[in-house]
Amino acid sequence: MPSFVRKAWLIYCKDLREEFRTTDHLLSTLVFGTMLVFVFSFALQLVEAAPEAIFPAVLWVSIVFMAILALQRSFAKEKDSGALDALLLAAGDRSILFYAKFLYSLTVLLLLEVIVVPLLWVFMGAAGTTVHMPLFVAAVFLGSWGLAAVGTLLNGITVQLPGARLLFPILAFPLFVPLLIGAVLCTQGALVGETRAVLGWLYLLAAFDLVFTIVPLLLFDYVLEG
Amino acid sequence: MGEKNVLVVRHLKKQIGAKQILKDVSFQAGLGELLAITGANGAGKTTLLRIIAGLSRKSGGEVIWNGGNIGYIAHQPMLYGSLSVQENLAFFAEMYGTMSQRRVQELLELVDLWLYRLEPAAVLSRGMQQRLAIARALMIAPALLLYDEPFTSLDADGRAVLRRVLAEYRPRTVQLVITHEPQHFGELGYREIRLKDGRVVEGGDRSA
Repeated sequence: MPSFVRKAWLIYCKDLREEFRTTDHLLSTLVFGTMLVFVFSFALQLVEAAPEAIFPAVLWVSIVFMAILALQRSFAKEKDSGALDALLLAAGDRSILFYAKFLYSLTVLLLLEVIVVPLLWVFMGAAGTTVHMPLFVAAVFLGSWGLAAVGTLLNGITVQLPGARLLFPILAFPLFVPLLIGAVLCTQGALVGETRAVLGWLYLLAAFDLVFTIVPLLLFDYVLEG
Repeated sequence: MGEKNVLVVRHLKKQIGAKQILKDVSFQAGLGELLAITGANGAGKTTLLRIIAGLSRKSGGEVIWNGGNIGYIAHQPMLYGSLSVQENLAFFAEMYGTMSQRRVQELLELVDLWLYRLEPAAVLSRGMQQRLAIARALMIAPALLLYDEPFTSLDADGRAVLRRVLAEYRPRTVQLVITHEPQHFGELGYREIRLKDGRVVEGGDRSA
């Protein structure tokens, strides 16, 4: 296995092992996501709206808020323990850290979604709606990929700055906007069966993901400058 | 290209914003040398070590090192608290491709932590964490060892362990130690480089 991939894989496995050994962060993010589901479902029961009209927006607002919480964790562990320097020395090429942390963030986000999305589906009353499943899964996957990629890049930029926890969401929201628009429209297309009409947005999501997955290869060496 | 196993630092400069942390630092250190880097707080000692380690970018001058792996023992132990003592060592050894269970045992015995190998790093005392950080730096078969105030937080036993490491690794490494207390080196001979306001004021190499 090439050194780049092997090192990224080792960091990824170490991060997951740490995450599952101290489940407090994963659990608190999951509880937050579940609370969002309940709050939205109670609030939206009071207004008359078709589930397919509101479900996409509610789904992505929930995912983005969960992502903000979950993604900040990726570099915070190293920052808190001071292990970032040791990891930078061991990794050599700093972009290895980006890909390891990106994969870790994407895995955590997808794990949370596996629980929260079906809950939202049921509680929002969308259970009776027919859905174009491949488009729905593609929208959720590509949207989550983009959130994880942008989140990891910004986390790398902010982790060594004072007030990182405040800076991260402020910088993340403007970058999440195009992703959010594409993801919401694709999800809605999957629910109302207008797959052809939203294919352009799906390509936009894929292009967004590609850019934010490749650009850090060039930038990350400067991002984590000490 | 520099000579193998010789660290050469020439006219090194580091500026962050308007502040010039290192103004002109030059020295050389060869195999078997133990250099004590001394100076008041803010003299630029840690910045110098971070640049040599490759953790921080220099603003000018050069650092030449062709000797192999660099072991860095920072002020903080730089460990993963939820991983055990053994897992911490194994993770970094695998990252450097130097993993060997026998070596893990040897190093944990060297720093008197073998009995604690299954304990999470977070429950160890500060001194024990520092000893584990030393073992981690040695795990990668370093040719250059950089220590940032390693005697701080070590008790008498810990200091004895560190002196043993400094002596045992001396013939095959170049060792740079930031310290305010060179008396802790005991009988180990050393060369002192004193920094003041980002310049070498004693023991450097002005011809470099």
